[in-house]
Amino acid sequence: MPVDQDVTRIRVRLLEEMIARGQVWSRMAGKYGVENPSPPWKSSLDGVCDALDREGTTLPLLARRDEEDRLTGEVYPALPFPENQLVALAHSLIARKVIGEGELAEHIAEVRARLEADGGTPPSS
Amino acid sequence: MGGISNEGENDVAPRHAAPMVEEVTDFEVLEIALRELAIEKGLFTAEDHRRYTEYFEQLGPAPGARFVAKAWSDPDFKRLALEDAVTACHEVGIDWLKPTGFGTPSDFTALHILENTPTLHHVICCSLCSCYPRPLLGNSPEWYRTPNYRRRLVRWPRQVLAEFGLYLTEDVRIRVEDSNSKHRFMVLPVRPDGTQGWNEEQLTQIVTRDCLIGVALPKPGRTADVERPVHAAIHPAQNH
Repeated sequence: MPVDQDVTRIRVRLLEEMIARGQVWSRMAGKYGVENPSPPWKSSLDGVCDALDREGTTLPLLARRDEEDRLTGEVYPALPFPENQLVALAHSLIARKVIGEGELAEHIAEVRARLEADGGTPPSS
Repeated sequence: MGGISNEGENDVAPRHAAPMVEEVTDFEVLEIALRELAIEKGLFTAEDHRRYTEYFEQLGPAPGARFVAKAWSDPDFKRLALEDAVTACHEVGIDWLKPTGFGTPSDFTALHILENTPTLHHVICCSLCSCYPRPLLGNSPEWYRTPNYRRRLVRWPRQVLAEFGLYLTEDVRIRVEDSNSKHRFMVLPVRPDGTQGWNEEQLTQIVTRDCLIGVALPKPGRTADVERPVHAAIHPAQNH
């Protein structure tokens, strides 16, 4: 599915606000004294990317990687890896209108409520 | 919206990993939400995702290291490795045609082993995206994915290798191999001095991921790669 404009010109406030809260893995791991260099969701993200590549029409591999390069370099340059890979993927799917920004925001709230009900604690900062 | 239903899967997609920190974090939530919506919209199934994720979690550079150690130790295996690398990989437990047991088209490829000599050094990249011999080496490191590495290596390989701390003298030719969707490469380094009499297990310990990409050389005592911070290029390649 082609996108009808330059993805780097599309702003996604939901992602920008999330980035501004600064919960990148390096900071969270430091806060809790965790030494694992990668966040626990990294392999799941890799699984998402490969599953999308295999499906091959919604967001073909080369388009996904090209947009990831441009978005991480031009739109989210301060965001580290692999958060920038995750945010670029969300940005690409929103730019293609495969997923709506409002729809994603709503589902994020539901997932968070579910995890916190399961015993996770809300953010302390 | 309720949980995501998907052909007999549980209504709620799994968290997939222990959280590690005592806090529900934004990016963890984003990954789950994105995945669940993608499954809901039929971009892939929860079963697809589970299998790919489990595949990723068992990947690593150990098969590549064992492959090189075996090639250093066994001339017949080395000959096979250079002539038919895909067949040779069976001896380290890798089936390139079915690396996951369920098929990964992006890994279905021709594999080539690049033999270094005292006067020829190979290094690999993927100038287009981040193609990488995952069944042998695991996931690519962050820097391998960056445009900075990909664009600059093909233009200034000697300088880029020096940035990794690998200084090659002018009498050593450097050949950059560009991976693509059909062809993947792995470097067979020169067996270093000081390893005479070592068994395969000892040799495997010094064959790190960076040696197999070609940005480092194996040497006795060096058993881990140096993790380097990724910097944006000060003068990035233009007109790529």
